[in-house]
Parts: sequence; C-alpha cells; structure tokens
Amino acid sequence: MAFISIESVSKAYRDQNDGAAVQVLSDLNVAITEGEFVCLMGPSGSGKSTVLTIVGAMNRPTSGKLFVDGIDVYALSDERRADFRREYIGFVFQQHHLMPYLNALENVMLPLATARLSARDKKDRALRVLWRVGLSDKARRLPNQLSGGEQGRVAIARALVNEPPLILADEPTGTLDTKTGNEVMELFRRLNAQGQTIFMVTHNHENTALAHRVLHIRDGVLVGESPHDQEMAPLPVDVAASRPHIVFD
Amino acid sequence: MRISTIALANLKRRKGKALFLSLGIAIGIGTVVALLSLGTSIQEEVGAQLDRFGANILIVPQSNSLALDYGGVSVPGVAFDVHQLKNEDIQRIREIPYHDRLAIIAPKVLSAADVDGQQALLAGVDFKQELKLRRWWRIIGQQPEQEEDVLVGYEAARVLSIIKDPRTTAPAPPSQHGAHQGRPDVQFTLARNQLRINGREHHVAGVIGPTGGPEDRMVFGSLTHVQQLVGKPGQLNVIEVSALCKGCPVEDIVAQISGKLPHAKVSAVQQAVKARAEMVDRLTRFSAVVGVVVLVIGALMIFTTMMASVVERTKEIGVLRAIGFRRTHIINGLLLEVAIVSLIGGALGWAAGLGASWLALPYFSETGLRPELHPALLLFAVSAAMLLGMLSSIYPALRASKLDPSEAVRYI
Repeated sequence: MAFISIESVSKAYRDQNDGAAVQVLSDLNVAITEGEFVCLMGPSGSGKSTVLTIVGAMNRPTSGKLFVDGIDVYALSDERRADFRREYIGFVFQQHHLMPYLNALENVMLPLATARLSARDKKDRALRVLWRVGLSDKARRLPNQLSGGEQGRVAIARALVNEPPLILADEPTGTLDTKTGNEVMELFRRLNAQGQTIFMVTHNHENTALAHRVLHIRDGVLVGESPHDQEMAPLPVDVAASRPHIVFD
Repeated sequence: MRISTIALANLKRRKGKALFLSLGIAIGIGTVVALLSLGTSIQEEVGAQLDRFGANILIVPQSNSLALDYGGVSVPGVAFDVHQLKNEDIQRIREIPYHDRLAIIAPKVLSAADVDGQQALLAGVDFKQELKLRRWWRIIGQQPEQEEDVLVGYEAARVLSIIKDPRTTAPAPPSQHGAHQGRPDVQFTLARNQLRINGREHHVAGVIGPTGGPEDRMVFGSLTHVQQLVGKPGQLNVIEVSALCKGCPVEDIVAQISGKLPHAKVSAVQQAVKARAEMVDRLTRFSAVVGVVVLVIGALMIFTTMMASVVERTKEIGVLRAIGFRRTHIINGLLLEVAIVSLIGGALGWAAGLGASWLALPYFSETGLRPELHPALLLFAVSAAMLLGMLSSIYPALRASKLDPSEAVRYI
C-alpha cells in the first residue's frame, strides 16, 4: 500500500483580476511508498509548489483526494490537519525561514512548542537532531550568525525534530552555493538511507541524482517520470498536453 | 520551548513596538485611573463633610401651619400643632433598621421666651448631641453642665449686653470644620453670667461665636429644663438627625423614620455640601465619559498596531501553521503578547494616574486631601488594561489564525 496516495487531484484558483478560473493542476495521480526519495521537477509556474502544499495538508484541492498513511487528509478538520502536519510532516522551505529572534536550538524546538513534553525532553530531542545535522556546537547561535548551509541544516533539523514519517522540501538548495547545496543534499541522502521518506520539489537536475524517482510536471500535468539516471528530455508542450497522464501506482 | 517562549522572544525583538503599545495603554489607563482616583477622593471628602456638618434629616410635627423658623427650615407653629413630637419618639427613631447609621439624634423644643425683658427664641436641646452636631460652634466660656446653664448666641448676647469689648480680627485659617472658614474672627469677653428667662435666673455658661446662622439670635438651655420652663413637658418641636450616609441612601433612612413616626414630617435636608456632592457626581459622570473616549482611542490604537503586526508577520505565522500550530495556538500566542504588554501598560498607567491625581488633587480638594493607594485601583487598572488589550486584539488574532498557510507560504 502506498504511503502517499494522490488520487485524481485537481486545483483551480480564481483569478483575482477577472475572476476567471485558472487551472493549476489537472487530474494528478501519484503514489509514493514509505522510504522513497521522490523529486518533482518542472519549470516555474508548472504547479510543483501547489503539489507540495497539497501534500503538505495546507492547500485543499478543488477535487480529488490525498491519502497519507491511509488518512484521508482533507476529510480532517482544519485543526486536526494542523495536528496531522505536526505529526506526519517536516517542512524544509527554500528560504529556510528560521525565526530570526530564536537561536538554532529554539528554532529546532519550535515544532515541539505545543507538544506535551517536559522542557528537558524538548531540549534533549532538539540537541540530538542538531547533532545529527552536525550543528550541536552552534546551538546557541542566532540564524544571522550562521552560514547559509548551516541555516539550511537547522531548517532540516527543525523538520526532523518531531520525527515525522515524511519530509517535504521546496527547493532546499535554491539559495545556496554549490558546495553548501551539496552538503544539504548529502544530509537528505543520509536521512533517506536511514529510511526517511522524502518528497522534494526542485528544478535543479543535480539534486535529483539522489532520488529514487523523478516526476516531471508541466502546466499542472504530470508528463512523466524517470529514475535519477534517466533524465527525461523536456517534452514539447503540445505533446505533453496530448499525452495520457501517467499513473504512478 | 513553549508558546510563551515565542511570545516573549517576539516582544524582545520588537521592543520599540511593545514599548509604544505599553505607553499607549498606560496613557489610556492612566487617564482613567487619575479621573477615578480624583473622583473617589473628592467623593470621600464630600462624604466625610456630609457626615461632619450638621443634620441631613429633619423631623418636624405634621402640620400645615408655619410659624417658627429654625436653621433655614420652617418649623410648624407650636400653638396649633395637632400632632406633637414627644421624647419617646427619639427611642422609636433608634429602632429603625438603619439605626447603626444614625450618628447624632438632636431633639429640640422651641419657644419664644422673655429674656431679661426682651423676646427671644429659646431652644431646649440635648447639649451633648447638639455640640456634636454643631461642630463649628466656637464657645467663649464653658460648655453647659448644670440644668440651668445656658448658651447664648452672639447677636442675642450683644443685645442683652452679656459681652463686652467685641473686636474683629483677621479671618481664621482654614480649619477642618470649615464652617466659618474665611469669616472674620470676633474676640470678646463676658460682661456678666446671669440671665433671667421667664422670670427665673439662669447661668450663662458661654456665648457662641458668630456663625451667621439663626443661632446667633437664640438662647439654648438643656432640653428637660426648657420643656418645664415653657410648659411643654415631654414635647419636642424638631428632631435633627445626622446619618452616616456615605454608603447609604438617605432616602431609605427617611422612609424608615417616617414608618416609625407616621405623625411626623421627615425630610432630607439639602445642604451646600449636598449640592457639592451633586457637582462631584456630575464631575464623575464627565470623567466616565472622558475615560470611555480615551479607552476607545486606546483600543483603536491597539487594534491598528496588532493588525499591522499580523500583516508584518504573515510569513512567520504561515511557517508556524505549516509546522503544525493550530489556529488556537496562533491566537494564544498573539493574545499572550498583548496580555504581557497590557499588564505592563496597566501597571504603568496605574502609577502614572495616581501620580497625576496626586498632583491635581490639591486644586480640587478643600482639605488638602491626598489620593489613597487603593489596591483595588491597581487591580482595576491591570484588569482594564488586559481587557482592553484582549478585546482590541481578538479580531487581529482571529485574522492571523485564519491565514491560509499555503498563501502565507507563497511568500516563502
């Protein structure tokens, strides 16, 4: 059984200027098994971030369903979906988005703020994760006292501290130079090797090298998948549109 | 790490805004505290004056005929009264439910009398009660002790040549009594101490200094003695009652006495102090209106600041929602920040308000009154500030909690 199952998901937005419906995703079907490292690639505006927010239980699809670990995510109430995000998902954002007024340790502890754990347990858990990402010696530093790569690692630690079964990453190396980007990707590789399911949105081909599968999206439609060593050639738009959707099951 | 940690860290980061918000709340609450403190202090002063100065309830026989005048209030004619007040009525008054509020009960019998060949108004009084009631009387000589001792009003004493060498001196300094405050003081000595009233010799114990009131023209003797002297044993013309009415409606006491004395006319006396109390009431109402306006302005300021803060923190709130914060967690966090700021603002406002009233009170008080440090006022200031902060922040907090995390994350 798939750990994540995206079933016939479509998403349309209402254009704020003329009120017309803008179709962002069309009949998306994806299945991801536990422990997989899956990358979603596509050009800007192709809908990949929308897919990520839908999988992240933050963006209700216009139609279709999302199941994670057998849970019909969008059948949950808004507050229960917040609980779901806390328990199931670790987010890594492109800009890292650490709280500038909290130090690295406090940023990592942030998802535990509402957990019923003692202060000591929260701190121990956050320190362990910081140690895993190699930053235990910089726990007291504020984000602006850390390098870009270190900030990325703190963001990953924050995503891991709740021990979620799924990591969602949105262009995690987008703002990093090649060397620090590689450091962050190496961290993802190690995590995946330990059994962590990772779903990453990227437009960087190099990042896909570590993935088990790479999904390609264009104009809101999945246009194919390839293993990381079989990069798909971009398809002409008209061909992509006429091609039957590939169901990953 | 708890939600409170985030709230405190946020306040530390935005010290300037937090301080601005606290000061805004402090100004609003401070204004209200100052007005309340002033109002309360002046009311207390007026209340104390009400209790101290004279009667506030007058009891006279039920009659339509008016013959004698006493204390600015008409007393029914003695000769035609159908229902006389009696000595026993004093005991009945003491039996009303509000009896513990009755500070002074001063009965009187009044009659025209022949005093050394001249007609004068003779009053029989219970000196012990009367002197408590007329605290502003300045007696030259001694207080009456014997049955036949009398006190003579200044004008009567002058006409009857009881005093000599009267001379006017500078006004007396303001006193606690305040009754003859600012009035020139008159110094004199007694020329004689014997007086013939209705053919009987009496001893003049003392002369009452000029008051400007009707007592200046009267002679006062002990109640039972005068009742016998004028042939009205056990009869009374008027009973004055001073009730401690700071915390009770005088009308209730009037009603209770009326119930006990159906044959008497009981009325609350409207005195100058009473008029001042009304003025203070108006001042209090005006203060309340000003206070409400200031608080509304304060609430709007908090509202706009919090709305701006929510917009500024859209991204941050989006991240918190994305990592699993519930709506209630977002609301709690924001309201906690406001609560801390309001707490500080309320305490500052309390201190500032008391300071302001401390400075302003001498301009409103006649007795050099100082505001009291009421713990309840501190509690009020802090509670009002918290309530103000919370109410003004509910909408911004709700709006923050309803931010669509995916929309917020689009900024990311």
